[in-house]
Amino acid sequence: MILPESFKFITSTLSWTLRAGCLAHLIHENVYEFTETRGESMLPTLQNQYDYVHALKKYKFGRNLTIGDCIVAMKPSDPNHRICKRITGMPGDIILVDPSSSSNLTNTEKQSIINDGYNKFIKIPEGHVWCTGDNLCHSLDSRSYGVLPMGLITGKIIAANSMNIGIKGLCDFRWINNTFVDE
Amino acid sequence: MHQGIKTTLITLTWFPVLYTFTNHIIQPYCINGFSMTPTFNNNDIVLVKKYNMKSSNLTKGDIIMFRSPENPEKLLTKRIKGLQNEIIIPKKDYPKNQVKIPRNHLWVEGDNEFHSIDSNKFGPISQGLVVGKVLSVIWPLNRIGVDLEYR
Repeated sequence: MILPESFKFITSTLSWTLRAGCLAHLIHENVYEFTETRGESMLPTLQNQYDYVHALKKYKFGRNLTIGDCIVAMKPSDPNHRICKRITGMPGDIILVDPSSSSNLTNTEKQSIINDGYNKFIKIPEGHVWCTGDNLCHSLDSRSYGVLPMGLITGKIIAANSMNIGIKGLCDFRWINNTFVDE
Repeated sequence: MHQGIKTTLITLTWFPVLYTFTNHIIQPYCINGFSMTPTFNNNDIVLVKKYNMKSSNLTKGDIIMFRSPENPEKLLTKRIKGLQNEIIIPKKDYPKNQVKIPRNHLWVEGDNEFHSIDSNKFGPISQGLVVGKVLSVIWPLNRIGVDLEYR
């Protein structure tokens, strides 16, 4: 039986679409991703809206990441949400959890003593990182949900574009650097 | 010669399709270690289902594969012993007497409790670390489709 020419054309188109789609997916998972970010937690590094970031996926699962890198990760308490934070502690580091929980600006004297924020330290276990937003007073991060397993990290942010001026924003390209300074 | 290169290239274009299939639908894995005996033996090959892995589809008693919280490059296979918001009494030298499992976390333990590194050591694991659910044993042949219930 000879198949009609049109049938052949349709199957070949569908097959190439499938292969192209899967290739795009492979690149999206393992090489590079360009996505929108929202939220105040990374101000002033990233704006709270209209910001698009370039993320490299070769750093996923925390491969070769160091302190000070910006990462994209899944939220431990809700894997469908993505978070964008800066790594501020590596495995083995000893971290002062949250001194602001005993600040006398936002807490009563009694509360600050109960919270004991200046004396609560933890040691980061193997395979985990400590991550915080750059905007410490408006960020939900390791200070509330604890250490982040490296298995949840999906990539490292290397650059960003601000799209609030429309497509012209593609020219407004800036690198996002590791701002950590070892004093 | 020219024909050979063309065939190779065409075959290569199917690689992303295979990758997507094994990553999101089903993939065979080899079990290493003895933490799940007698359900799985060392070097068994199992089929792992990757789709529909939301927390609402996981129940107690399911065997799941997940990334180790201590070493993200390592995959572990354990049985779910507790779902989110449940209260668990850990077995051995866990620092607390009882644990309330946080939202979207799971408590996992190996069937062979003496040779297992599980939630009794590293605590509840996040749902995001789950890779898939073990469907059945496919190798060795005499144990195909063996019952995976806890005995």
